[in-house]
Amino acid sequence: MNTVLDIEQIEVRYGGVTALRDVSLKVAPGQAVALLGANGAGKSTLLKTVIGLMRARTGDVRFDGRSIATLPPQRRARLGVGYCPEGRRTFPGLQVRENLMVACWEGRAERERRVEEMFSLFPALRQKADHLAWQLSGGQQQMLAIGRSLMGRPRLLLLDEPSLGLSPVLTDEVIGRIPAIKQTGTAILLAEQNAAKALAVCDHAYVLQTGKVVGAGPAGELARSADVRKAFLGG
Amino acid sequence: MLALQLLFNAIALGAAYALVALGFVLILNATSAVNFAQGDLVMVGGFGALAFGSLLGLPGIVLLVPLLVVMIGIGFLLAFVAYFPVRKRPPDTVFITTIAAGIIMSNGANAIFGPEPRATPSLVSSGDWQIGGLVVSYQSAAVIIVAAALIVGLHLLFTRTQIGRRLRATAQDRDVAASIGIPVNLMVAATFAVGAALAGAAGLLLSRNFFVSPTDGANYMLKAYIAVTLGGWGSIPGAVIGALIIAAFEVAFPALPALIPALAPYAEAFTQVWSTVVLYVLILLILWQRPQGLFGEAVRARP
Ligand SMILES: Nc1ncnc2c1ncn2[C@@H]1O[C@H](COP(=O)(O)OP(=O)(O)O)[C@@H](O)[C@H]1O
Ligand SMILES: [Mg+2]
Repeated sequence: MNTVLDIEQIEVRYGGVTALRDVSLKVAPGQAVALLGANGAGKSTLLKTVIGLMRARTGDVRFDGRSIATLPPQRRARLGVGYCPEGRRTFPGLQVRENLMVACWEGRAERERRVEEMFSLFPALRQKADHLAWQLSGGQQQMLAIGRSLMGRPRLLLLDEPSLGLSPVLTDEVIGRIPAIKQTGTAILLAEQNAAKALAVCDHAYVLQTGKVVGAGPAGELARSADVRKAFLGG
Repeated sequence: MLALQLLFNAIALGAAYALVALGFVLILNATSAVNFAQGDLVMVGGFGALAFGSLLGLPGIVLLVPLLVVMIGIGFLLAFVAYFPVRKRPPDTVFITTIAAGIIMSNGANAIFGPEPRATPSLVSSGDWQIGGLVVSYQSAAVIIVAAALIVGLHLLFTRTQIGRRLRATAQDRDVAASIGIPVNLMVAATFAVGAALAGAAGLLLSRNFFVSPTDGANYMLKAYIAVTLGGWGSIPGAVIGALIIAAFEVAFPALPALIPALAPYAEAFTQVWSTVVLYVLILLILWQRPQGLFGEAVRARP
C-alpha cells in the first residue's frame, strides 16, 4: 500500500510510564483516518510522536516512505506534516492574520493568497482578522488553529481533538470542514473521543485503548461494530 | 522652565534605560528566564564604543553600526554559553549562568580597560541649543533620536516581518512554533542577540555623560529589573514606561528642593544616595499594592 504515514511498531514512554506500545498505523494519501479512544488512551502521544514533540523508543515513523523518526519537529513540518494541537494553542498575542502568516514559508503574495484561502474555509475568522487570538471564542480559536496548521499546505494533517470543549453545533461546524480539507489532497489523522462524529467524516479508523491498538477497519464497519458502539457510541 | 528642562533630561535618560529594559523583557519572554547579564552587556557596549572610538576616531552615531554587529555576536555567544546548555534545568539555573557570564564580562573589561571610569565619544559633537531658558545638548537630543529610532525599528521588526512574527510565536509557545516549522533554537538565540544589541546601544548612549566602568553592570541590571517589574513582568510597553518612570524619578529627585520651596530647608537630604533609597521604598509600596506591576500583562491574562 502506498502510504503518506506509516507508523511501525512504536513504543513511547513518559519517563517510566509507557503511553504507547507496539502501535502500528498507516494513512494513505488523501485519506482521512480517525484515531479513536477514551481519555488517556494515547491519542495525543501518538500525534506528538508523528510531529516530533515526542520520540519513539523503538519502531519507526515514515512519512512519504522516508523515516522521519529522528528529525526535529520543524523539519517534519517543512517536509509536509501539519499539526493542530489539543487545546488549540493559538499564539495568544498574535493577531488572527499573523497566526496564519507565521506558519507560511512562501513569499508575500502566496502568503496572502493562503490567508485568503483560510478565510474562505473558515469565514468566521475573516471578521476577526485583526483581533488578537486570545480574544477569540473557543470555536474560533479551533478554526484558527486548524487554519494555521494548513498554511504550509501539508500532505498530512494531524488534528488532535478539535471538538474538545466545543458545543455540538460548533463541533459539527469544525469537523464538517474535514471533507473540504481532504478534497485539497491533504490526508488527515483525526484524534477524537467523539467517535460518531469522527467516523462520519473519515474513511478508516483505529481504536486505541491504554496505549495499544485494539481495533481497526473501514469507518463504516467500525460504526456498525458492536464493540465500538459499546465503548464509544453509548451502546 | 525648570520643569521642562527636567522633563527633557528625564526623557533622554529614560530612552536609554528603555533599551536596556526592552532587551531584558524580550529575553524574559522568549525563555521565561532572567538574563542577569543584561546590565553587564550595557557596560560592554560602553567599552565597545570606547574601543571603536579610539580605533576609528569617528562620532558615536557612526560607531553604533559596528557596535551593534559586535553586540549581536556577543548575544548569540551568551545564548550558547549561558542558556542552551542549561535550558532543560529549572529556570533559576539560568540566573546563575548569566550572573557568571556577567562577572566574566566585568572582569574582562577590567583586565582590558582598567577600573577607571571612561567617557565614550559624543554621538555627534559637543554643544547645545538654547531655546528660551531650555538647554538642549546635541548629545541628549541625539540620545533621544537614536533610542526612539531603535525602538521604532524594533517595533517594525516584530510586527511587520516574518522573522519578527516567528520570534514572537516562539516566545509564546515554543513547541507549537516548532511544529509549524519555525527553527525555535535559532529564534531564541536571535532574541539574545537583539537583547544584547539593545543593551550595547544603551551603553554607547549613556557612557558619554555618565561614563563607563567595569562594575557598572549591577546598577543597570537593577534598573532594568525594576523597570520591568513596574511595567508588568513580561509587558513590552510596560518596560518602556517603567524605564521612563525610573529616569523621571532620578532626574526629579535632586531638583525637588528647587521645584518645591517648602523643601528647600532640607536640600541636603535630596542627594543621589537618598534618591536610591526612596526609589526602592516607592517600588516596594507599589508592588505591595499591585503585585502585577502598574500595567498588568495583557497577553498572559488570556482566558
Ligand atoms: N506529560 C506527560 N507526562 C507523563 N505522562 C503523560 C504525559 N502526557 C500523557 N501522559 C500519559 O500518557 C497516557 C496517554 O496520554 P495521552 O496521549 O494524552 O492520551 P489521550 O490523548 O488519548 O487522552 C496517559 O496515561 C497519560 O497519563
Ligand atoms: Mg489527548
